[in-house]
Amino acid sequence: MSEYAFRKINIDALEEEVLLPSDLYDPDPRGPDGVLSDAQRKSGEVRNLVSKGDIPGALNAILSEPPYGEGVDQAKDLTTSSLLLILNSTRAAEIPGILKALDQEQQDHLMAYIYKGMAAIGQGSDVSGSVLLNWHAQLTEVAGVGCIVRVMTDRRTL
Amino acid sequence: MILLESHSVIINDVLTDRFEKASRADIQFVDYDNVRFHLSTPETKSKILLSMGIQCWPDLLKYGAREYLQNEYQQYLLPQEQTEPEYDVSLMIDLEQLPESVEDRNSLISKLSHLKSVAMSSPFLSAFQEQSNLQAGYKDAGGAQQKDFTSEQSAETKGELKIIRYREEEAIYIQASNDRVTVVFSTVFKEETDKVFGRVFLQEFVDARKLNALQNAPQVRYSNREPPLEIRHLPGLHNGEDWGYVTFVLFPRHFSNPTQAQSTINRIQLFRDYLHYHIKCSKAYMHSRMRYRVAEFLKILNRAKPEVATAEKKTASGRTFRTR
Amino acid sequence: MSNTLRPYLNAVRATLTAALTLENFSSQMVERHNKPEIEVGNSPEVLLKPLIVSRNESEKVLIEPSVNSIRLSIKIKQADEIEKILCHKFTRFMMMRAEGFVILRRKPLPGYDISFLITNFHSESMLKHKLVDFIIQFMEDVDKEISEMKLSLNARARIVAESYLSTVSCPI
Repeated sequence: MSEYAFRKINIDALEEEVLLPSDLYDPDPRGPDGVLSDAQRKSGEVRNLVSKGDIPGALNAILSEPPYGEGVDQAKDLTTSSLLLILNSTRAAEIPGILKALDQEQQDHLMAYIYKGMAAIGQGSDVSGSVLLNWHAQLTEVAGVGCIVRVMTDRRTL
Repeated sequence: MILLESHSVIINDVLTDRFEKASRADIQFVDYDNVRFHLSTPETKSKILLSMGIQCWPDLLKYGAREYLQNEYQQYLLPQEQTEPEYDVSLMIDLEQLPESVEDRNSLISKLSHLKSVAMSSPFLSAFQEQSNLQAGYKDAGGAQQKDFTSEQSAETKGELKIIRYREEEAIYIQASNDRVTVVFSTVFKEETDKVFGRVFLQEFVDARKLNALQNAPQVRYSNREPPLEIRHLPGLHNGEDWGYVTFVLFPRHFSNPTQAQSTINRIQLFRDYLHYHIKCSKAYMHSRMRYRVAEFLKILNRAKPEVATAEKKTASGRTFRTR
Repeated sequence: MSNTLRPYLNAVRATLTAALTLENFSSQMVERHNKPEIEVGNSPEVLLKPLIVSRNESEKVLIEPSVNSIRLSIKIKQADEIEKILCHKFTRFMMMRAEGFVILRRKPLPGYDISFLITNFHSESMLKHKLVDFIIQFMEDVDKEISEMKLSLNARARIVAESYLSTVSCPI
C-alpha cells in the first residue's frame, strides 16, 4: 500500500502558486498589541465624546485606522461595540449631516460595521435591526451603492 | 359541503334505482373507517343482498349490536349463519315484497343506507340507557342519605367503559355516569402537517363552544400527548406527539328523545372522519393557493427576461425571409 | 406595511444591486469548465465578503458574492408552529419547481429557508433591475401569503367547528 501513499499528498499545498489568505492583504503595521492598545484608547475616547454629545468627533475617531485582519479579535470586538454605541445614541435627524462629513474611507468602514452589526443580531447583540437599517439607508443615499461594493471587495475584515 | 352525510350515498342511489326496476348488481364499495359493503343479487334480480364488513364488529357485538339491528331491520336481517362469508352483517331485500306507498319505500331506503351508523349506534344507545339507570339510582340514593351528600358527590357512579376499536389504531371510548355520557376519541395524525392543522381545528372546537349560540352543544375538550383522565388507566394507550384525544361530554338533553339521540349519535360517530376530512381539505386548499402564488412569482421573474425583438426582416427588394 | 419592512427591503435591494456585478469566469481548477465559484468555493481570491442584512433574529438575508455568481439565502419569519409548517411547505413547493425559476436553488443553505443562485449567465440574459425587483417582490409576498394562509386555516377551522357543533347542539 505504501507505494500509493504519494497519491494522497496535496500537491497544491506545496506548489508555489498556491494562494494563502495572508497573500490577499498586507497585515496591519502596528502589530496585534499596538492595535489592541489603540482600540482601547479609542473606545475610551469615544465614550467620553458620546457622553459630551459629540457624535461626529466620536465617529471620526473610531473610523480612522480600525483594526483588521487575523489575531486581533479583542480589538475588533471593542471597536465594534463602541461604534454600535455611537449608532445607538445618535438622533435620527442628525444622521445625514454626520454622514456627509465623513470621507470616503470612513464611510466604507462605517458600512462594513453596519453589516457586521446586522450579522450579529440574534447572537446576543443589543442593537435593534431598525437602527442599523436606518443608518444603512441613509449611508447608501449619501455614499451610493459603490460603498457597498467596496465593503464586499475589501479583503481586510474589520 | 361542510358536513358529512351519515348515510351511504351509494346504497341510497342504487336502491332507489333498483326499487324502480329490478336488475342485476354486484357492487363492492367502502365507507369511512374501513367499512366494506357488498351489494349483489346472488339468486334472482329481485333479491338484493346487502352485506357489511366492519372492523369493530366484535366490539359492537358485545354491546348488543345484533339485537339492535334485528330490532331495526326485522325481517330483512339474515340470521348469523346465513351471513355472507367475509362480512359481518347481511340484509336481504326482496323487491317483490316492498311496501306499497312511496313514503314507506323512501324511509326503507333511508334506513338501509344508514346501515353503518345503525350498527355503530348500539354502544352509544346502551350507554344512554345505562346513564338513565344510573341517574335514577343516584336520585334514590341521594334522597335516602341526605347527610352523606358531600361524600355522595365525590363518589359519583360510573358505568362500564365501552371501547370500540373502529380503526386499526384508533378507538372510541364511551362511559356513562349519573349525569352525563363521556365519549373520548383517540386519533392519530400520521403527518407533521396533519398534526399542526389538527391542533388548530381541535382548538377551534373548544373555542367555538364559547359562543352564545352554541352553549347547548356538548362540551368539547382535547388533549394531545396525554390521554384524558377517564381512560388513563387503560393499558396500551399511546402517548406521543402524533396522538390526539378528543372528549365530548353529552348531557341527557342530547339524547332525551330517540330522534335527538339518533342524530347526536350520527354526528358524533363521524367526528373523526369529519376532522380528518377537513384537514385534508385545508391541505388541498393550501396546495392550490401555493400553485397560484408560484405561477404569479414565475410571471414576475419572466418579466426580467428582455423581450426578443421580432421585427420582420426584408430584403432590399421588399421580399421577406421565410424560415424553413 | 410595518415600518421596518420598508428599510429592510431597501437594504436588501441596495446590497443585491451592489453584489450583482458578475462577469464570465472560467474555472481555474478544471479545464474548459465554467462553474459558479460561490458554490465551488475553493479559490478564495474570487470569493467576496458575505454580507447579512437582518431585520431581527427571525428575518434575515445572507448575500454571498463571488466573481461570477451570487448566492442569496432568505430566512422567512416564522412566529409559531403553523407558520413554520406553512413556510416549509411553500418553500418546498417552490423549490420542487426550481427548473421554472432558473435562479432558484434546489436546496436552501442550512439555517435559511430558501436560497437563490444567480450566475453571470442569468444576469446577462435577464434585466438586472428586474431580477432585483423579483427578489424583493418575493420577500414581500411570501410573508403576506403565509399570514393569509394561516388566517384562512383558522377561519376554516372556526367554520368547521361551529357548523359541527351547531348540528349536535339542541334546544333545552
